[in-house]
Amino acid sequence: MTRAFAVAAALLLASARAYGQAAPPAPHEDAAFDFMNLLSDHGLHNLNDEDWNVYGQFTYITSFKVPFSAPYTNANGAPNSFSPDYERSFTGTFTLFFGVKLWKGAEAYVAPEVIAEHALSQLRGLGGATENFELQKTGTTTPAVYRSRLFLRQTFDLGGTTSIRVSDPLQLGGPVDSRRLVITAGNFSVIDVFDKNNVTWDPRQTFFDEAFMTHSSYDFPADARGYTYGVAAELYWDDWAVRLGRFLPPVEPNQQSNDFHFWERYGDSLEIEHDHTLLGQPGAVRLLGYRNHVLSGRFDDAIAAFEADPSKNAGDCPAGSYNYGSGDFNAPDLCWVRKPNVKLGIGLNAEQYVAKNVGLFLRAMYSDGQSEVDAFDSADSDLSFGAVAKGTLWGRPFDVTGIGMQVTAISKEHARYLAVGGIDNFVGDGALGRQRAEGVAEAFYSVNIAKAVWLAADFQLIWNPAYNGDRPGPIYIPAVKVHGEF
Amino acid sequence: MLGLALAAVAARAHAQPAAQGFAFERFYPAPSGAGWLVLDDLNIPSSVGGAIGLALSYEHDPLRISSGGTTLDVVSDKLFADIGGSFTYARWRFYLDFDTPFLITGDSGTVGGYAFTAPSVDPSSHPDPIEDIRVGVDRLVLGNPGDPLRVGGSAQLYIPNDSREDYTTDRDFRGMLRALVAGDIGRFTYAGELGMHIRPLDEAPAPGTPRGSELLFGIAGGARMPLACGTWSAVFGAELYGASAFRSLFESETTAFEGMVSTRLEQLAGEGRRLRIKLGLGVGIVPDFGAPEFRAVVAIDMFGEAR
Repeated sequence: MTRAFAVAAALLLASARAYGQAAPPAPHEDAAFDFMNLLSDHGLHNLNDEDWNVYGQFTYITSFKVPFSAPYTNANGAPNSFSPDYERSFTGTFTLFFGVKLWKGAEAYVAPEVIAEHALSQLRGLGGATENFELQKTGTTTPAVYRSRLFLRQTFDLGGTTSIRVSDPLQLGGPVDSRRLVITAGNFSVIDVFDKNNVTWDPRQTFFDEAFMTHSSYDFPADARGYTYGVAAELYWDDWAVRLGRFLPPVEPNQQSNDFHFWERYGDSLEIEHDHTLLGQPGAVRLLGYRNHVLSGRFDDAIAAFEADPSKNAGDCPAGSYNYGSGDFNAPDLCWVRKPNVKLGIGLNAEQYVAKNVGLFLRAMYSDGQSEVDAFDSADSDLSFGAVAKGTLWGRPFDVTGIGMQVTAISKEHARYLAVGGIDNFVGDGALGRQRAEGVAEAFYSVNIAKAVWLAADFQLIWNPAYNGDRPGPIYIPAVKVHGEF
Repeated sequence: MLGLALAAVAARAHAQPAAQGFAFERFYPAPSGAGWLVLDDLNIPSSVGGAIGLALSYEHDPLRISSGGTTLDVVSDKLFADIGGSFTYARWRFYLDFDTPFLITGDSGTVGGYAFTAPSVDPSSHPDPIEDIRVGVDRLVLGNPGDPLRVGGSAQLYIPNDSREDYTTDRDFRGMLRALVAGDIGRFTYAGELGMHIRPLDEAPAPGTPRGSELLFGIAGGARMPLACGTWSAVFGAELYGASAFRSLFESETTAFEGMVSTRLEQLAGEGRRLRIKLGLGVGIVPDFGAPEFRAVVAIDMFGEAR
């Protein structure tokens, strides 16, 4: 009876490894404990031909910022500096992932999620090196439940070889053709489909810093939590894949809203992927481009407006206009110049395993940098690379360790805007004497303390926060994480 | 002097207390796998089983508040999905579900001296809301699935979520305790419930607002017809259900009473997954206190049990 109640409790709590942040969920560990394996082991579920599945996850991360020295902070009424004082941030998330087969090739998914959080410096002061990928712009210390995903996926098999797709969060197990067309429509994250990387995989298992979740300068459409509505088409043809999607941007930049005028304001992404084998180890290369047509402000326009009429300053934004809260009456502001603008970017994402469970990754992207961040990070170009290894080599196959580095930069227009006191959603110290690339180096080790639970230690070193060489740091951020999947 | 008097009148006019939002929804869907749209058929097996379900509900004028000859549709339209799952074992059913609204809209105004601000929920402004989350447990105490008389009990907990501005929550824990009865006699099938909605929120004297804990009641009956294909059956029936605040039991302003005609198509017992598709059209017999002028529901359950 006790065992029955344990099974019952597991079923009631059934969740998968769903992920509350905007990152896609991790693939399934065959030998790890989870709810669906439990059912399968009891002969109650067929993982190789699923009508439904349920997975879940919980993650708690806390980060500690060691004080650092800075010659100035929040100069001239700007509110966006990374605080030089000691701070602690945290996030706690709990997610359930439900999937159900509707008809041949059709699957529906929903993922409710809970988050509570507190960010360093109110999530201000870092361009692309946000210390914890789970942080959302709307989060509070009071737990909030929301629907992270609700979407329909239709797969049309087109032939080729047939393999069994494993049962995973947001993925029903079953046979699938190597040539297929997959249409995904509804409420989900752009990076559920685009810019995946099997080495950096799911941030809840690997790096803590947002720098390694996707390109920092990939300004993909999203609401303030990281999700949006849209449609994506993926064509898989053996070793090749092409992805194309259109998604809704926020009504105002970085806000918890979606602009449903998708014929006027939208974000389009196009990605081409080739999977390969090199020296017997798998790898992949992806080329990603995006084009946003959204309501945003261009940095040059804000400066020109202020120079032509100093009353159009950051401290005097028109009543009702959306702005980032600067009190600087001698600085330009994007609030005066928002209109539909185009933003472009192109990036490379590569992964290569060099041994069993040891992989290298590299991402690089260049965006035009003419207009403000609309939904993701204040970065106009980025380069990140590193390595992730599982503990197979030292007899702990479920442990994970990794080391990585990212540098991000901003355009000269963006830098000029910051230098004259302007701010965007995340950066702007009120001055920028020396423009520098922002960087982060990170190392972590995640110990599998039970089959479904990991305890991880992490260390981040950040320099030139907000691209400001006047405030170079370095900034040390140790952190710990507890993560469970079931 | 006249100016001062007018100013005083104006000030008094703007001094009306503001009514806050609350969980007005009166459609408490049956747990996934529980048969009817609202009532519970208590077909809880002894073996291991489970269900997942989705219900889509649209309702018109679910919160029409009247006082002193004035009527205000504080909530005029609501569209939401209820998504849930259940697990059954040894005559117990454990379940979890949540409502995710896509549209909640209405009119703002003043009724009975209280200023009401209508909710404004849509996918643009509120991309991902979830209402209070329900966890529950049902127990079949007497009888077996398919018997002419089955008796059981139910306990549910509503965990607060979202904000009162959206009229989706009281921002307080709520609970429900219900006695359940159901049965199948030939082609006739029926169900009933009587219980208590334990609700701390009491907003008296603001009209149309919660008055604390409530009596819950409901009955359902229908006829089961095998379909020609031999693998499905249809149940045609009706459900009557409602709630009334204990402090003014069965008074119009504090009583919601709905009637719904429903049809459900069920795959007959067999191995593996089974489907149940449910359609319902309802009206507010007493269209107050959260009962809508009319409601349309479509739901689908996927359920099964180990043999």
